[in-house]
Amino acid sequence: MSFFGFGQSADIDISLDGTENRKMAEIKSEDGKKERHFLYYDGETVSGKVNVTLKKPGSKLEHQGIKIEFVGQIELYYDRGNHHEFTSLVKELARPGELIQNTLYAFEFLNVEKPFESYTGSNVRLRYFLRVTVVRRLSDVVKELDIVVHTLSCYPDMNNSIKMEVGIEDCLHIEFEYNKSKYHLKDVIVGKIYFLLVRIKIKNMEIAIIKRETTGSGPNTFTENETIAKYEIMDGAPVRGESIPIRVFLAGYDLTPSMRDINKKFSVRYYLNLVLMDEEDRRYFKQQEITLWRKGEKTRKNLQTSPSPQLLVTGGAESFIPAHNHSSDPQDPAGTIEDMKQDTNEEEHSSKMTVQTADAHGDACSTNLTADGMDE
Amino acid sequence: MPMTPQLSPVEEQERLLDEALSVVKIQALQMKRCLDRSKLMDGLKHASTMLGELRTSLLSPKSYYELYMAITDELRHLEFYLFDEFQKGRKVADLYELVQYAGNIVPRLYLLITVGLVYIKTNTCLKRNLLKDMVEMCRGVQHPLRGLFLRNYLLQCTRNVLPDVAEPGDESEGSVRDSIDFILMNFAEMNKLWVRMQHQGHSRDRERREREREELRILVGTNLVRLSQLETVNLDKYKKLVLPGILEQAVSCRDAIAQEYLMECIIQVFPDEFHLQTLHAFLKSCAELQLGVNVKNIIISLIDRLATFSQRADASVGTTGIPSDVRLFDVFSDQVSTIIQSRQDMPPEDIVALQVSLVNLAHKCYPDRVDYVDKVLLTTLQIFQKLNTDRIEYNSPVSRELTRLMKIPVDNYNSLLTILQLQHYGPLLDLFDYHGRKNLAAYLVNNALDNETQIPTQEQVDAVLTMLSSLIQDQLDQPPGEEDPEDFAEEQGLLGRFIHHLRSDIPDQQYLILSTARKHFGAGAKRRIKYTLPPIVFQAYQLAFKYRALRNEDEMWEKKCQKIFQFCHQTITALITAELAELPLRLFLQGAIAVGLMEFENYETVAYEFMSQAFSLYEDEISDSKAQLAAITLIAATFEQMSCFSEENHEPLRTQCALAASKLLKKPDQCRGVATCSHLFWSGKRASTGGKEMRDGKRVLECLKKGVRIGNQCMDPSVQVQLFVELLNHYIYFYEKDNEQVSVQVLNQLIGKIREELPNLEANEETEQINKHFTNTLEHLRNRLESPESEGLSYEGLIL
Repeated sequence: MSFFGFGQSADIDISLDGTENRKMAEIKSEDGKKERHFLYYDGETVSGKVNVTLKKPGSKLEHQGIKIEFVGQIELYYDRGNHHEFTSLVKELARPGELIQNTLYAFEFLNVEKPFESYTGSNVRLRYFLRVTVVRRLSDVVKELDIVVHTLSCYPDMNNSIKMEVGIEDCLHIEFEYNKSKYHLKDVIVGKIYFLLVRIKIKNMEIAIIKRETTGSGPNTFTENETIAKYEIMDGAPVRGESIPIRVFLAGYDLTPSMRDINKKFSVRYYLNLVLMDEEDRRYFKQQEITLWRKGEKTRKNLQTSPSPQLLVTGGAESFIPAHNHSSDPQDPAGTIEDMKQDTNEEEHSSKMTVQTADAHGDACSTNLTADGMDE
Repeated sequence: MPMTPQLSPVEEQERLLDEALSVVKIQALQMKRCLDRSKLMDGLKHASTMLGELRTSLLSPKSYYELYMAITDELRHLEFYLFDEFQKGRKVADLYELVQYAGNIVPRLYLLITVGLVYIKTNTCLKRNLLKDMVEMCRGVQHPLRGLFLRNYLLQCTRNVLPDVAEPGDESEGSVRDSIDFILMNFAEMNKLWVRMQHQGHSRDRERREREREELRILVGTNLVRLSQLETVNLDKYKKLVLPGILEQAVSCRDAIAQEYLMECIIQVFPDEFHLQTLHAFLKSCAELQLGVNVKNIIISLIDRLATFSQRADASVGTTGIPSDVRLFDVFSDQVSTIIQSRQDMPPEDIVALQVSLVNLAHKCYPDRVDYVDKVLLTTLQIFQKLNTDRIEYNSPVSRELTRLMKIPVDNYNSLLTILQLQHYGPLLDLFDYHGRKNLAAYLVNNALDNETQIPTQEQVDAVLTMLSSLIQDQLDQPPGEEDPEDFAEEQGLLGRFIHHLRSDIPDQQYLILSTARKHFGAGAKRRIKYTLPPIVFQAYQLAFKYRALRNEDEMWEKKCQKIFQFCHQTITALITAELAELPLRLFLQGAIAVGLMEFENYETVAYEFMSQAFSLYEDEISDSKAQLAAITLIAATFEQMSCFSEENHEPLRTQCALAASKLLKKPDQCRGVATCSHLFWSGKRASTGGKEMRDGKRVLECLKKGVRIGNQCMDPSVQVQLFVELLNHYIYFYEKDNEQVSVQVLNQLIGKIREELPNLEANEETEQINKHFTNTLEHLRNRLESPESEGLSYEGLIL
């Protein structure tokens, strides 16, 4: 530290190797501004050069050593003092001594593990950065450089459709199906709502994508729900037997992969909320968790080379919900839900729902939609 | 707070529409500006905002339509812009996906369709999938009004890009099969939405709702029009895909308004050749329609169309009419009866109306198949039997329909004989009540008269007259009370004319006809037989003349003539029994003349019988003095003409005449009667003298003198003078006929007497007439006097 221009100081500049070929990725900063940083994946080597420039050429700089750290940390906004570092690697660039001239140091963190995705939420931030410190007696000279990490996943082995019959007794029975339970971030949700019984005057129906960020644990748990998207899928009142198509493109929305219990600090989960509104503005809804994942670019390219638009009828592998048997009796849904997979697990039961789960195996279930006039 | 005046519903609609239209105007302008500056995303945003106006629930169908038109008009700009860009190769990646981020479904789907269309136009290999996708995605709009217009937009946009090839050249471009699926699906969904309108809202608004539905039906019907415009839809495809699809929807929607409209639509938009081959399916569906549907109108509409088609095909050479393998009538007949069976509540008049259309069909398509018509009549008869109807009240709806049914064969065949071939015509006719029967009977008779139909055999006559019995005889169900006498006379007059149409060229047959007719008409009671029996008698006289003309060919002719006159005698006697006098008298006299000309064996006796019958009628039945005079004049005139009597018969007859005349009650009648009878002694003819005139001048003069004597006894001078003038004329007649007993002196005497009396008469109209008569007579004499004839008849000594 130099007061009044006395003493030597230095500028630190970190440059990364191979930036000309490296992608940048966008991420929000804590204050909501969008920033762009270089993008790394798990296991990639982070290497580069650190340039220490003396501010006063000719005079020397005394230091207790120069080091570079690779840090991955989780910051909880309500607990500013404590940052939880889950990764911290250090490389010594120079032993204690004097710097007489501008010096360039190369560094390399070989195949460094980056287990989590960079994330900026409403209560929590997960970030990766490089930090160069010139250790000095009074005040260190420090320089940080943020990078963004994306975690890539493979195509999930198990990706069952979500299919469920829900309803309010003698009032409304519907069966819905989303073609998958796990969607990558550029994916398309394709599905269908089949009306088994309609005794209320429905005005419209929409699908909302809700992001639920949970931080902390135990009594200090904070949950933040954010509606990412509202998407009207039906206008007007259907009658029994009607089936309504669903198709929601995810690419346009600001989504992240689902995160579960990241370093025991936080989770980010996504839900599809199917909402029916009746003419008295009562809302009936059913939330269903989906898992979002990030697909590797290379594989993505392979899959997305088709020039044709995403249609309901294309993509043979995707489950296109078969036509329903019109004779299915809403009072006796056993036939239609027999082949349903286990599509409820205890985690997704929010406090607002009442759920009647038939048996321990979860082979069949009938879930009550929640009618809640107060829900906005 | 200022009070805003309450707006009427109409004004409210106008206001709402105006507001929406102004938003559309602004947004459209901005959309176009953005597009001009190639800011596509902003343009789409404005388009979406504009389309947001179509989300309203406040507008009536009419206003919504206006809004829709305004908006879709503006959307065309977007479509043209995108098309241009795409053609230039400036393809916007993922545009089809992009427009789907619109949060509201109505604007989203309009944009989807607009963009989808541009994709299809620029890249035909997307066609098949895109069409399927769009029509499927539209399911998201379940609001009837909004859904109907959205799907209408889809239909309008795709009308020029629907694949219309039998076999797809490229799988992804699709074939007509895909177009059919596409339209059928859109149609089914639109129909469901349309039907759903009926069940929304308050029941008191039902009328308005139905009116609104009527306004919107064309949107649904356009689907069918589009199907009919697909050129590669041949009969096979129509039969297997198109029609079953439509009918399935029509039947299953269970909505009377929709069903009626759709069935009518099918009939109107698809070609007749298709209808002919799909009758079974179509009619079968008709039987399954809701009870409220007026199936009658649908069937009639189809029948009329096919009937017209067959006639048109017949008229134009080269086109084929109804294919021989299509048993049009049988199919209709079977299906119509199925429909009737399945609809227990169908009013009988509608059932009959269906039969009417069947008869029309039979007539137009199979004009020579009388059995078809008869089959319909039988069916109708059975229907009434099933309904336990034994009387159909006149002027009831069913009676009117049935009358229509019964008149069709009459009008079409224009031949009563063909009607007779219809075995069930009579029994069906019997179902009508008295008025109904009579009405139809009169119609039949009129038709026969207009068409100069002759009924040539006894059996046919029997059948016809049985059918017409309501006119001929009193009926059991006849209401009490007199009918309007003029109407009655007219109606019976028709029958009289009709009798002349019961005619065969074979005399023996004709005789049988007449006997049959006589039996029928004879039972017609007094008030009828005076109209109906005389024509029979005259027909019989004519028949006799015919036998006489054929006397060289038929050796039995004399016997037959005798029989005929016996028949006439009986017939006339029947009239006497009915307390008629003048009519039988005239008929006897007419008969006497006829017999007199026959010259068959024994004919004089027969003639004498006829004359004597006339006399006894005169004596027994005619009491009115005027009638007596008329009768005796008639008898005398008839007798004067006849030449068949020998002296033995002639003498009593002529004496009887003179005697009867002189025994008339009133003097003037006596005078005139005697004067008339005077001629019998002059120009009366006897067979014994070869038919020569008697020319018994003395007896003539005696008669005339008697006349003068009686005239003198008349008190009324006016009548007296009149009689004298008449007598003078008789004298002059005989003078000119060379009766030597009549001299100029007698004439002078009579003239003198008239001259003497005439001035004393009161001046009135009657006197003037008498005077005129007298002057004319004198004028005649003067002419004769001045230019005497060469044969020497001279009026010398006549004093004028």
